[in-house]
Amino acid sequence: MGFVDYVQAIIDGLLFGTTYSLIGIGFTLVFGVMHKINMSYAAASLAGAYCGLIGPQMLGLPPWSVFPLSIVAAGVIGYVIYLTCFRFIPLASPLATLMSTVGMLLLVDEIVVHATAGMPQNYPAIYDGDPIELGPFILRADLVGVFLICVVAMAVLLALLYRTRLGMATRAVAQQPVAAQLCGMRLQAVNGLTFVVAGLLGGVAGAMIGASVGMLSPLIAGTITVKGLIVTVIGGLGSIPGAIVAGLLVGAAENLFQAVRNVTERDIYVMLLLFAFLVLRPGGLFAAARGRD
Amino acid sequence: MRRTGLLLSSALVAVIGLCGTAAAQERAVIIKGFGAKSGVVRSFGINSEAAMRAAADAINSQGGVKLGDGTIGKIDVEFLDDRCTAEEGISVVRRIAAGPALVAIGPGCSNVAEPLFGVLQRKAGDASDSGLQFPIFTDVAIKGGLAKISEWAFRNVPSEIDMYNALFTWLKTKNPELKTIFAGVEENFAHSRASWYAVMKEAAPKVGLEVKGEAKWLLEDTNFAQQVREIKAASPDILAIAAHPFTTCGVLKEMRRQGVKVKLLVGLTSSSSMETLQGCAREAEGIVIPTSFAPVTKEAEAAAAQAAKFNGSLDLHSAAAYENIFILKKVIEEQGVLAKPDTVQADREKIRKGLAALKETDGLLGKSKRTEDREAVKPYMYVHAKDGKWAVLFNPLTN
Amino acid sequence: MDFYYSLAQIIGFHALLGLSAYVVLLTGQVSLAQAGFFAIGAYVAAMFTVLAGWHLVPAMLAAGLAAAAMACIVGFPALRVRGLMLVIATLAFGEAVRLFFFNFDYQVAKGEVKVGPLGGEGFRQIRWFPEHGWTGLDVMLFVWTVVALVAGALWWLDRSRFGAVLRAVGEDELAAQSVGLNLTAVKVTAMTIGGFIAGLGGAIYAHYTTHIEHSNFGVLLATFAIAYPILGGLRNVLGTIVAVIFVQGFLVEGLRFLGDWRNLLFGALIVLAMNLRPNGLIDAATARRLARLFGREARRA
Repeated sequence: MGFVDYVQAIIDGLLFGTTYSLIGIGFTLVFGVMHKINMSYAAASLAGAYCGLIGPQMLGLPPWSVFPLSIVAAGVIGYVIYLTCFRFIPLASPLATLMSTVGMLLLVDEIVVHATAGMPQNYPAIYDGDPIELGPFILRADLVGVFLICVVAMAVLLALLYRTRLGMATRAVAQQPVAAQLCGMRLQAVNGLTFVVAGLLGGVAGAMIGASVGMLSPLIAGTITVKGLIVTVIGGLGSIPGAIVAGLLVGAAENLFQAVRNVTERDIYVMLLLFAFLVLRPGGLFAAARGRD
Repeated sequence: MRRTGLLLSSALVAVIGLCGTAAAQERAVIIKGFGAKSGVVRSFGINSEAAMRAAADAINSQGGVKLGDGTIGKIDVEFLDDRCTAEEGISVVRRIAAGPALVAIGPGCSNVAEPLFGVLQRKAGDASDSGLQFPIFTDVAIKGGLAKISEWAFRNVPSEIDMYNALFTWLKTKNPELKTIFAGVEENFAHSRASWYAVMKEAAPKVGLEVKGEAKWLLEDTNFAQQVREIKAASPDILAIAAHPFTTCGVLKEMRRQGVKVKLLVGLTSSSSMETLQGCAREAEGIVIPTSFAPVTKEAEAAAAQAAKFNGSLDLHSAAAYENIFILKKVIEEQGVLAKPDTVQADREKIRKGLAALKETDGLLGKSKRTEDREAVKPYMYVHAKDGKWAVLFNPLTN
Repeated sequence: MDFYYSLAQIIGFHALLGLSAYVVLLTGQVSLAQAGFFAIGAYVAAMFTVLAGWHLVPAMLAAGLAAAAMACIVGFPALRVRGLMLVIATLAFGEAVRLFFFNFDYQVAKGEVKVGPLGGEGFRQIRWFPEHGWTGLDVMLFVWTVVALVAGALWWLDRSRFGAVLRAVGEDELAAQSVGLNLTAVKVTAMTIGGFIAGLGGAIYAHYTTHIEHSNFGVLLATFAIAYPILGGLRNVLGTIVAVIFVQGFLVEGLRFLGDWRNLLFGALIVLAMNLRPNGLIDAATARRLARLFGREARRA
């Protein structure tokens, strides 16, 4: 393996890391607003992507219809998760929502398994042409597209958070839920909407994961959940740009370890690096200023 | 408190309910199936269950099983889910063994079979070994050499060593221009690993194929850019993919993206199922896989139609489940099994002896040999993916 | 009957896993490393009984100590992180342990076969129980003796001054520190005790299944470890044991008669349980009622 190979490995990893970034943004958004973690997020995003397949497989719609359908479906699932796992559980029990969303993760995964008998499902790519060649390096064109979508999603999200009334309400609730309520904001409505927005974003993530892998399988829900959580904490809890950078970093790091060592040892180094990183820099890359605990 | 009470009492009811479920009916011959019906391997469980029910239905409608005292027994099949985990597999079999079942067919996953066989008594009749004394006749779990763990364990799964040896020999005579082979291996799946390192990698040099190495990935990997680049660098004539459908498809798709082509693709025997075609029919076009089942004989066609009636499809795994029921029928009749409530343990011992004594069994494709260490040598053929379907490429039985 | 003995064994080693997370949770730390300690216990104990031919009891103690030592070492750096960061840091550590065993080969020839852990192929034939003629009942009694000893010790610990210290740290670190408690000592001790208990559980697990491989000790198992005390409630050790019975006895085995619905209901019932009892199946109020039921005066809540 020469220098070119290592650089190529990093490029591959960076590009694929964008899918991790997308999932990370969703985790971090919910955490930023509710200071709680939604463990079922990645599984629900993939479930949204699965729902998108109903279009071409059952309704005879063209292949591109999976993308809008996935996004809408994931938004709906996001709201259902809010209702079942957060709405009726007291805010003071963070462990209870951790567990309820774990239960939801298992449920969502099993529903997908029942619907598909666990078989992998073909998923259309966003672009199916030749890869881009840059000197000795090759870039997967569809992943470049996914990266652009990821950046657009972030821009839309930030605009939503900082330029709209909903965004202002969301941030107010995130910072001071009691004060926000005193100002007449409806806490439950804002929280519910946050889940819908995060869900829509999850739909984008799920569809892009399906498109870049080329398939959906219940196998990936676990991996994506772990990767998403890792990205969220490395980026700094609640930091959206942090999640994007962290996703790329994680993707690049794992591919580099795989190139330098081998695939069976790859994840050991990723995990040890993560452990060391968290211990040395407990706030993550872009830690938001610490508010309440 | 009332809620807790309700929860606790319903838990109690359910736990107590465990014992009373299967009270022995008169002269039912109870055979239990078990395997995964949850998680990614759910399709295996569904197909095995359908195959067993179809076989039992066929036997019962043709007059049932003749028991040792002349009465007619009807085969009663029930299938339990083990979620493909060791603990649940052991638990399920202990539950089955505690009931009136004479024998169990399963499991689907090798990682259940291996611990499960360890729980069984190692040598039958060894009083110093308090392991479970219950015959298991495996249909799906295929990882090499497992039945030797216990004398109560039997398998009717294809021998990969024979299949790949023969496949490579045939390929080499048919296409002498094929010179080199490279592999892709799913490193964290014991069966896939064994299929390459212990089977194909050994078989290839014997027919003069040069082994150029292997690319490795994990069962749940999603990004194969690097591995495909390794394949490209090796530029082999044959690429053998020892992996399950999800990553097999992932690699094939990445090969198409990078424009990497090989002269011939060879797949893992477990991938000759609907899963691969469901995931990547276009990219898998042409992949050659040795398998122990395809609907090529009259019996096989009829069996496949039967299984379809029970909402399952017959493939190399579930076909074994179908055959097992028929093999067990024969063993029960030969050994004079009584299937009475008070002869359960004696009947199990008889079935164990009967299975161990078999030298040859009838299968859907023809006769299978039984080996000393309780494994099968099954007839096989080569199939390839053609226009989104599996088609028989070569059948050594008819040629 | 053998089936129920077997089920009781499963509940037993899962109870140990849950109790190991319970101790750590008392100090407010959610640790996903417990499956890693469980794996260390499983491999160490199995290597002592299979490769070195030890009796199970010393092998279990060695397994517990090895896991405890590892937990102690991890405890120090892990102290620096809190909340979700700690969850992920411990998850990373637990996964690293699992992946270590994925790459770990140590085989010894025994007769005509080689035994010992072999990376991705796993470690087979850990048959100490059947080889020594133990029946299901014997094994169950042994397992539950261990569980009773551990649960009893934790019960006593809960009521001692040290238990109050653990809970004080769990409730409010800052306040605990300001009354002069040594956070480092308390948290590391809890982690070490948790590691020891998980090690014992892992040792039993390995001898129950007779074959272990790295994939048995993944994130799912780690999640279950913390699920038991959370589902059961942190009021006392009984909560954890009740939760294990709820999950393993009811959700996994008890609902089997529902066939295909069982695996769907598994997650759904966990969601429902958390909605109905956010503080666990046995929360403070239930604990008081239970105490009254046993004719004792309700303790100070």
